[in-house]
Amino acid sequence: MRPLTEEETRVMFEKIAKYIGENLQLLVDRPDGTYCFRLHNDRVYYVSEKILKLAANISGDKLVSLGTCFGKFTKTHKFRLHITALDYLAPYAKYKVWIKPGAEQSFLYGNHVLKSGLGRITENTSQYQGVVVYSMADIPLGFGVAAKSTQDCRRVDPMAIVVFHQADIGEYVRHEETLT
Amino acid sequence: MKANRETKRLFVGGLGQSISEVDLQNQFSRFGEVSDVEIITRKDDQGNPQKVFAYINIRVAESDLRKCMSVLNNTKWKGGTLQIQIAKESFLHRLAREREEAQANNEKSVMSNTNLLEKMGMMDFHMKAVPGTEVPGHKNWVVSKFGRILPVLHLKNQHKRKISFVFLKPRPLFCSLTYGNIKYDPSKYCHNLKKIGEDFTNAIPISNLTWELEGGNDPMSKKRQGKFADIFSPPKKIIKMQKNQSSSLSLTMRPRPSRVKMETPHFPQQQITQEMPSDPVTLKSPRVPDSERQKLKSVFFQTSGLENTGNKNSMSKNDIDSEDELMIAREENLERTTWSSINEYDSFEIVRDDFKSDVHKLCSLTDLGNKNNVSFDSEDNVGDDSDDDSGDADDTAVNKNVGKIKKSTEFSQMEKSVCKKSSPKNRKKCELSDHCTKVQKSKTNEELAISHGGKSLSNSSSSEDAASQSESAESEVGDYNAMMDNCLQVTLSLADLGHLAGSDLKAPKDPESHGWETTSQCDRASKSHGTSVGRHRSRQCIYPEEIVASLLEEENALGKQKPKENNLKLKFQAFRGVGCLYGKQPVRKSLEENIASSNVHKNEHSLKLEDPTSMSMEKGCPNRNGSSSKLTPFQGSKKADDPNCIQPQNRQFTCKTQNHKVRSPSGSEEGSRNPISNLLPLKDNAVRLGAETSGRGFDEDSGHETTKTGEDSEKSSDLTSHVVPEYSPEVSRMNTHGSKPDFPLSLNSPPDVSAKDKHAEDNQKRLSALEARQKAKEIQKKLVHNALANLDGPPEDKPTHIIFGSDSEIETEETSILEQSQLGEKPIKEFLSRASGILFGSSEEESDPEEDRNRFRIKPQFEGRAGQKLMNLQSRFGTDDRFRMDSRFLESDSEEEREEVNEKKTEKEELAAEKLKALNIVQSILQTNLSNSASKGSVAAKKFKDIIHYDPTRHDHANYEKKRDDKPKESKAKRKKKREEAEKLPTVSKEMYYNITTDLKEIFQTTKDNSEQKDVPHVDCEEEKAKEGHVSAAPVTGAEQPSGFTFSFFDSDTKDVKEETYAVEIVKSGKTAWHVAPRFQDSSSEEEDVTEETDDRKSSLGEVSLPAKETTRFFFFSNSDERLLGSDLFWRGMGSNISRNSWEARTNNLRMDCRKKHKDAKRRVKPK
Repeated sequence: MRPLTEEETRVMFEKIAKYIGENLQLLVDRPDGTYCFRLHNDRVYYVSEKILKLAANISGDKLVSLGTCFGKFTKTHKFRLHITALDYLAPYAKYKVWIKPGAEQSFLYGNHVLKSGLGRITENTSQYQGVVVYSMADIPLGFGVAAKSTQDCRRVDPMAIVVFHQADIGEYVRHEETLT
Repeated sequence: MKANRETKRLFVGGLGQSISEVDLQNQFSRFGEVSDVEIITRKDDQGNPQKVFAYINIRVAESDLRKCMSVLNNTKWKGGTLQIQIAKESFLHRLAREREEAQANNEKSVMSNTNLLEKMGMMDFHMKAVPGTEVPGHKNWVVSKFGRILPVLHLKNQHKRKISFVFLKPRPLFCSLTYGNIKYDPSKYCHNLKKIGEDFTNAIPISNLTWELEGGNDPMSKKRQGKFADIFSPPKKIIKMQKNQSSSLSLTMRPRPSRVKMETPHFPQQQITQEMPSDPVTLKSPRVPDSERQKLKSVFFQTSGLENTGNKNSMSKNDIDSEDELMIAREENLERTTWSSINEYDSFEIVRDDFKSDVHKLCSLTDLGNKNNVSFDSEDNVGDDSDDDSGDADDTAVNKNVGKIKKSTEFSQMEKSVCKKSSPKNRKKCELSDHCTKVQKSKTNEELAISHGGKSLSNSSSSEDAASQSESAESEVGDYNAMMDNCLQVTLSLADLGHLAGSDLKAPKDPESHGWETTSQCDRASKSHGTSVGRHRSRQCIYPEEIVASLLEEENALGKQKPKENNLKLKFQAFRGVGCLYGKQPVRKSLEENIASSNVHKNEHSLKLEDPTSMSMEKGCPNRNGSSSKLTPFQGSKKADDPNCIQPQNRQFTCKTQNHKVRSPSGSEEGSRNPISNLLPLKDNAVRLGAETSGRGFDEDSGHETTKTGEDSEKSSDLTSHVVPEYSPEVSRMNTHGSKPDFPLSLNSPPDVSAKDKHAEDNQKRLSALEARQKAKEIQKKLVHNALANLDGPPEDKPTHIIFGSDSEIETEETSILEQSQLGEKPIKEFLSRASGILFGSSEEESDPEEDRNRFRIKPQFEGRAGQKLMNLQSRFGTDDRFRMDSRFLESDSEEEREEVNEKKTEKEELAAEKLKALNIVQSILQTNLSNSASKGSVAAKKFKDIIHYDPTRHDHANYEKKRDDKPKESKAKRKKKREEAEKLPTVSKEMYYNITTDLKEIFQTTKDNSEQKDVPHVDCEEEKAKEGHVSAAPVTGAEQPSGFTFSFFDSDTKDVKEETYAVEIVKSGKTAWHVAPRFQDSSSEEEDVTEETDDRKSSLGEVSLPAKETTRFFFFSNSDERLLGSDLFWRGMGSNISRNSWEARTNNLRMDCRKKHKDAKRRVKPK
């Protein structure tokens, strides 16, 4: 467990900023306490100061996880967002995509969102913008990347992919072992 | 009668089996003539007759028939019940009759139509028939609606269903298909038929019919057309590549266009960075593409350089079509290169784009005349700009493409350099593979090819890594180290190559060049500076090689210096030989190889040699910054790599003047890089020259000063003349350094790109580390200082301890000393110690009480952590004065402890710092201002405070009361209105109000707390805190009263308010009273204002309070006047009620208005 290096922080923030933009500040600078990011086993955890202190008592090799896992660094030092970060990012999401009930399951099984399943989308979503995927009942379902801009979405045919799947809450079941 | 008779056919059923025809005839003959009787017997399976019936043709009159029916029907006759009915006409009869009729009709029609036919002339006949009737005499011809005759065709289709094509007789073609057995009657469907075309002659062949819908280029339409461009296009390309016999080339070709495309836009960083991953081929098969790329590079260069229109055309196509041509072009180029090597003078124009080695040669040739070089440079510039010098003017686009390609290739080279950095082996391998391919093509050196192939195989594993690394553009320190490890191997391979090349050297077609090489080598060996043009040329060609050689030598020096020198020489020869054989491209590549190796070496050396390199690195970094503002030089190695990739492009695309300078320093700092740049024809010659010069200069100076080289390079960026002088010394140095161990160091200083970056990083780290150390030292110093400061006290005391004269001093001293022991030990010891310390105990009793008090007070020495430790130490030694401990003993410990403390403190600070850092990064990412975030944070904090539930009973919530004060302030507007209204009211009432309040105050003061409670309701309900204020203020006012002036409650009240609002400030009543006096006298209206002011701005309290006092003085009533007691309620109620009502009404109105306006504004804004 260690704090992130500047480079890592940058990479991670860049990724997160794709989803929540300047709201990232609110994650870093929280009024209700000090929260920080910690790297452990290549995973980045978002930890409150309190828990951080508690976790300091546990040796690194025994420590499984602490706080909330935001994602992990790949071997190539890219940052991959985990679904566990959804709870923290969804409230701040700038660009959202709502998918129809029929397409929910497909998405939750790890598939991309087709235009036929697209219920609603934030306007001005640009291509490759990180989006948070919601069900029509406004339940956050996961992360995605807009494959088409909002304008393109209108023109595209119904079977075209509109949102690339990044992470979904189905992973809690499917990837239970890797989500820590 | 007979006329009435008609032949009828009767059905007679229910006959007995025994009845015969005769019987029937007899039976029916009563009614008419029976012409024919037919008995039909129906039998079941066994042959038993079940039914017997008969048909009888009878010629009978109507009446008779009826009689017959009535008589015979339902009568029993010979065992059966007769049933007689009129039967249908026998079909035979009917047939006959119909035929007769038809014939009659025919005759009739013929007769009737003859007239028409005669009129028409053309037509055989025209039938006035109901649609659908057959045309008599013609099978399958029917009369259609409107009287046209249509043929019915029956065709079988694949499904064995009938297809009937109906062709109308008149020309128009009707096609209609019918399926199944249903008879298709064209007459009924003729309306459905459509006219396809009048002319069959003009009919379009089916193949030309439109089978696709034409749409735009948008993907939808394409998909509709069955083109899935996105998905299928790459495979197509691949296939085409495979078609090409040199698959590797094709493979490389593919990535190239994409790269070019990528680069065509303004080359923002991101694109470039993305570009690397965008090459799937390179990722998958990194080895081949790299080599291919290089080849392509060369090809492009050559083509551009040659300015052959044909080549250019091929270039312009730039796609699959051009690949074959490119192949040809390459071959041509190869020939060209060989030719150019032969005729160096001719290659002047060609050279510029060809590649560096030629340029070098030319430069060397034109050493005497700098002008030539300049012109050359200009040409190169033109080439770089992708403008046509020769006036081909074929396509500017073509040229641009070429330029782009060049750039891309250059970029690829840069990439390669990066790759080299990350894994030099791979790079080398690629180059080797290139060599192999070229060798094979030229078919001169097969051995070399084989050897290279083997090497490439050996290196293949590493190449993948390199590719991935290049893709991610991240070269880590670990990799770097790995590279370092690989260096030896690389050099060995180079050596092998050199051997091979050396063996092949005899083959070269160019004896001259070979001779030059040899001579140059000889020169080198003999340390004689060749001034001859040819020698220069050769040297220039070799120049990077030399560096490499020196590097190699240096490296060898690390391991075995001498034995490898031979190898090195061989290498040189080999390289040169290759160059001669295969034209300049191979040479260049060999040079690149050398560079790579040199890079590796440099990396190693740079690691070893910190100081000079670091200096150079530092210099380089700022330069780089200047060139590309985007790049932050001192970032991680990863970033550093990116800049490297991007830098060249930036240079190219940014002003070239900048490029010169930037590159030259960079070149000087990155020795390897210079050669690369030199090799690249893409870059300006001037730049190249500068780089060369810088490189040379650097080589020269590297031994002495690295920093100086940078400057030199900058100066000599455009000067070719510099090259010559520098060159020769360099050569000499090279020669000298061959044996010297120092040389490696000097060579090390010119690091390659990666080295530079890493160095920059390292330097940065070092600097930071140094700073940190300094800081730590400072901290330590401070600590020491503090500790010493603490020390100062006790040591001063100590000497006094020995003094006998002053008892008191001794006493205190003693106690202080003793207490040390006391705290640790027992009073007895203390006593002993004291006894020991003090010779004259007479004063003991006097000082005892003090002593006792002091005894339990911790001595300053023992205060704090350090003190505790000291105490522990002291306790170890007991109370022995000789071992009395003071903070001097603690110094180190105390420091540690302080550090500990600091650490504890810093934990939070660290978190805060981390947060700050994170915020900074966030801001850098979001590109927002720092202040923004801070303000945001503060805002958030404020908000958060707002949420806190205010508890008036809690004292720590007093600071929140400030906000409460705002309310009265907010009521300013109210008050103003109030005031306005009040102005209308008699002023007297207000005065009264104030006076009364003052009286009330007095009451309160006199009557204690109860009165205060009374007062509470008077106070604005909003100001609940005022309560507390009152309570606290009451005594104060009470105290003030005696001091002099009678004073009004209002005064005190205002003060109270003030105190509430600004807890810190304590207003002296007297002062305020004094100030206020003059003001109050002015007028009652002013008074009001003042009072309001007091309410509004608490700061002006003093003034406010004064008038009240004055009033008390001036008016008839003293504040203690009893007549006014209790009247305050009355007055106040009146005035306040009026004003409040009006105020409330107004405020409400205002509020409504405000809201309305707000809404309107919102509405207005929204639609926009």
